[in-house]
Amino acid sequence: MRISTSWGQQQAVNTLLDRQYQMSQTQLALGNGKAIQTPADNPAAAARAVDTNSASAQNDQYTRNIQSATTRLSVEEQALSSAGDILDRIRSLTLEGMNGTQTDESRQSIATELRQTLKQLVALGNTRDGQGEYVFAGSRTTTQPFTADGLNVSYGGDQNQRMVAAAAGLQVATGDSGSDVFMSIRGGNGTFVTTAGAANTGSAVVGATSVTDASSWDGGNYTITFTSPTDYEIRDAAALPTDPPLSTGTYTGETGTINFKGAQLNITGTPATGDTFAVGPSSSQDVFSTVAGIINAFEAPGGGAPMNNQINAQLQNLDQASTSFLNTRTKIGARMNILDQQKAIGDDTKLQYDTTLSNLQDLDYASATSQFVQQQTALTAAQQAFVKMQNLTLFNYLK
Amino acid sequence: MADLLSTGVSGLLASQVGLSTVGHNISNVNTAGYTRQTTTFNARAPELYGGYYVGRGADAVSVQRAYSQFLTQSVWSATSSQSRALQYAGLTSAANNAVSGSANLQTALDGFFGAVSDVANAPVDTASRQALIGKANTLVSTFRSLSSQFQQIDQQTNQQITAAVGDINSLARSIADLNGEIQRASVGGASPNDLLDARDQAISQLSQIVGVNVSQGSDGMVTVSIGNGQPLVNGTDASKLSTAQNQYDSSRLEVVGPTGSVISNQFGSGSLGAAFDFRTNVLDPARNQLGRAAIALTDAFNKQHAQGVDLNGDAGGKFFDISAPAVFNSTSNKGNAQVTASVTDVGKLGSADYLMRYDGTKWNVTTTAGVAVPSTGTGTAADPILIDGLALTVPSGTPQAGDSFQIQPTRNAASTISVAVTDTSKIAASGPLMASKGAINTGKATLGNLTVTDPTDPAFKTPVSIVFSSPTSYSINGGPAQTYADGDTITGNGWTLKLSGVPAANDTFGVKPAASASGDNGNALALAAVANQGVLDNGVTTVGKSYSQLIAQVGTAGAQANTALDAQQSILDQATSAQQSLSGVNMDEEAASLLRFQQAYAASAQVINAANTIFDSLLSAVRG
Repeated sequence: MRISTSWGQQQAVNTLLDRQYQMSQTQLALGNGKAIQTPADNPAAAARAVDTNSASAQNDQYTRNIQSATTRLSVEEQALSSAGDILDRIRSLTLEGMNGTQTDESRQSIATELRQTLKQLVALGNTRDGQGEYVFAGSRTTTQPFTADGLNVSYGGDQNQRMVAAAAGLQVATGDSGSDVFMSIRGGNGTFVTTAGAANTGSAVVGATSVTDASSWDGGNYTITFTSPTDYEIRDAAALPTDPPLSTGTYTGETGTINFKGAQLNITGTPATGDTFAVGPSSSQDVFSTVAGIINAFEAPGGGAPMNNQINAQLQNLDQASTSFLNTRTKIGARMNILDQQKAIGDDTKLQYDTTLSNLQDLDYASATSQFVQQQTALTAAQQAFVKMQNLTLFNYLK
Repeated sequence: MADLLSTGVSGLLASQVGLSTVGHNISNVNTAGYTRQTTTFNARAPELYGGYYVGRGADAVSVQRAYSQFLTQSVWSATSSQSRALQYAGLTSAANNAVSGSANLQTALDGFFGAVSDVANAPVDTASRQALIGKANTLVSTFRSLSSQFQQIDQQTNQQITAAVGDINSLARSIADLNGEIQRASVGGASPNDLLDARDQAISQLSQIVGVNVSQGSDGMVTVSIGNGQPLVNGTDASKLSTAQNQYDSSRLEVVGPTGSVISNQFGSGSLGAAFDFRTNVLDPARNQLGRAAIALTDAFNKQHAQGVDLNGDAGGKFFDISAPAVFNSTSNKGNAQVTASVTDVGKLGSADYLMRYDGTKWNVTTTAGVAVPSTGTGTAADPILIDGLALTVPSGTPQAGDSFQIQPTRNAASTISVAVTDTSKIAASGPLMASKGAINTGKATLGNLTVTDPTDPAFKTPVSIVFSSPTSYSINGGPAQTYADGDTITGNGWTLKLSGVPAANDTFGVKPAASASGDNGNALALAAVANQGVLDNGVTTVGKSYSQLIAQVGTAGAQANTALDAQQSILDQATSAQQSLSGVNMDEEAASLLRFQQAYAASAQVINAANTIFDSLLSAVRG
């Protein structure tokens, strides 16, 4: 077959150019470490790399969300821990104040300290997070939630809970509204509340109360009236005086209990005839009113059974408040656990995404380097062959 | 014996022609399109000398091209295909560079939705809100920059079309002129080899731009047609092609034949065919896909944003702005009807462009590729024509039969997207509603999730009070009693509220619109979730996914173009090798021919010398 001299040369040059282009592509890849220079190199991998990058970026964002949520929850947890300490202090001050050896003056000074602790409690309710937002304000995070007017503390936030996206489809609360934590605390023992009649003259004091049979308790209002220091009758508060009592009983002092409708009351001391105790369903009482009730009881002169009755009722409320704080802290702990777990999962996922991405778009240096050497050998061979071929012409011998 | 002298001279002359041809071949070894020439010799008619014939030498009778019509046509055809593949690969490579550059849309989307999450983490923080607006602007400018890169490629395509049409016209003129010269030069029967080569070379150049079909006439002239049979050169006449704006979209050029008809889609191969093919099959779909992503983002994000409440207590306004689908009138419309289009359902929106044609009684819709699109409606405002998530209306004017409009729902959308929110307080991060529990409730029911189901409910924002008349029965705003069991969901006006626990009689719960300056992040969380929300293709494809589909689409086109180029290049190389092996100049062969004719020349000179010597011998013998 004839070979056209110029076409033969052109083809040889084209081969050189091709080899050089391939080498330059390998060199480019070696330079920037990318296996995919443009999507055309590997369309499926390029598209997957974009998807994986996006998933990885989202994963990183979830990690940031979790960090921000953890910070916020830590602030809340710290505030509630301090609030719990304050409740303990209030409790010991109250027990100290109930001591029979106290005088009006000493009770007054205890009340003064209690007023200070109340202010501390309000200040904790107004705790702010790192961004200056009020933690316990629900969603009104820019408005101070608790305002004190004397002993009256009002709540200006709402009942919303802020959430954080910790993973796709997983939202975790990063706070609790002040309404839930400080305000809507069930009074009494959580089911019913007992109040001594204001006109009581005896020394009877209500101690511990409890529910012995929750299914029998119907949530109604009842009155225990002492018809004599040793006899009592129980009536439905809404019943007419002419109706017969629900039940009657004999009061045996502190060894006995009064039981009706699943409720059980321990009354100690000696009641006077006509003394009454009202029993009604628990309603919400905020922790500030509870403290205020104790302060008011201490500041009222006289002490004795009326004061003890009031204080006992408030101590029950104080216990409820402690429980509320503790419950909230347990919830916070559970949320932080979830967030920690999610963070660990997120870290693992990130590792997987990084591996996938690396497999998709990172250059395999070993194979690229050996490819480069091969291409170099091929180019050198082609160049040498080209030069040799050019010397092979008959004209060289026409002298 | 004078005959020996003239025989020697004939050999000298014939060898000179042979030497000249060899010299010509050697000189043109690197001339593009040159065809090797060979000299043919004939023995002169012998002279009857007594009883026998004596030869009288040789004549060079012709100089011919080593030429094969078939091989040359194969090269032209392979050139057209290779040139098309080369151009296509070049253009798709430009598109690939556009999507692999620094303007990575996915990164911008991730950054944007990350900023939305940051707002959810700190809803009233001005810095995070400002960062969100910043990221939104980055996202929008990435959309625009990608779109403008695609537009630039489109403009380059236009320029290439203009240049190609100019080249076709000038080559057609050259071929027609050469036809004339060849006809005149062939009158004596001699073959004007170098003119033929020049014409073949011109046709070869033409075949790079567009596929050619050449037929040889008996008068030595060729007839050239291009594409699907569009006549270009006939004898000494050359047709003139021109470019014109598309009848709908003035931003794109079409090729118009001498009769004024559009012949853009008739160039299968050559670089011109590649330009139109690339525009229709790679660039337009890519631009539409990008625009569709922009529309999907705008629609989904705006819808969710509208559900929220901003820091001023107002419902969220538009977050992104984007233009309505583009509608183009045909320049040949006779009526004065105007058409407007709007997107009604992003989930059904495709990447196609549509033609809407009035047949005198009703409108018919097809895709620009000519596929009929099922539609409902008559086109009035009350009854718009509904197709693929679009509503088309003819709000004014009267159409005439044959009037048509082109609708490009997505093509330029990505270049028009912008951020509508500039004031940080207008970001609607808060949920629209707040649930509350009565302060004096005695029951144990607590609030669960408040979920928005239908923000368009007319009574959506009416404050609602839920009052329990017993632990198992409640009424909403004094309405009829409904039964409740622990953990039930209460359904209101476009929302549902889950309660858990047992309420007591007279317990109340409320749902009311969110207040201003709310630190609630309900809507911000929902906005961040838009990133993973299936929006396109009936709620299957997320915005991000539609971008990676675009990458795959453009990448696949690029990979196919590169493969096709490799294949076409090797076909062209083979065709050229075959043609060159016949018609190309081989230097060794020419060197041998040179020696051959040199020797023949020297020998002929010896013949003359011999004749001379013989004559001298005779003279000296006579002289004695």
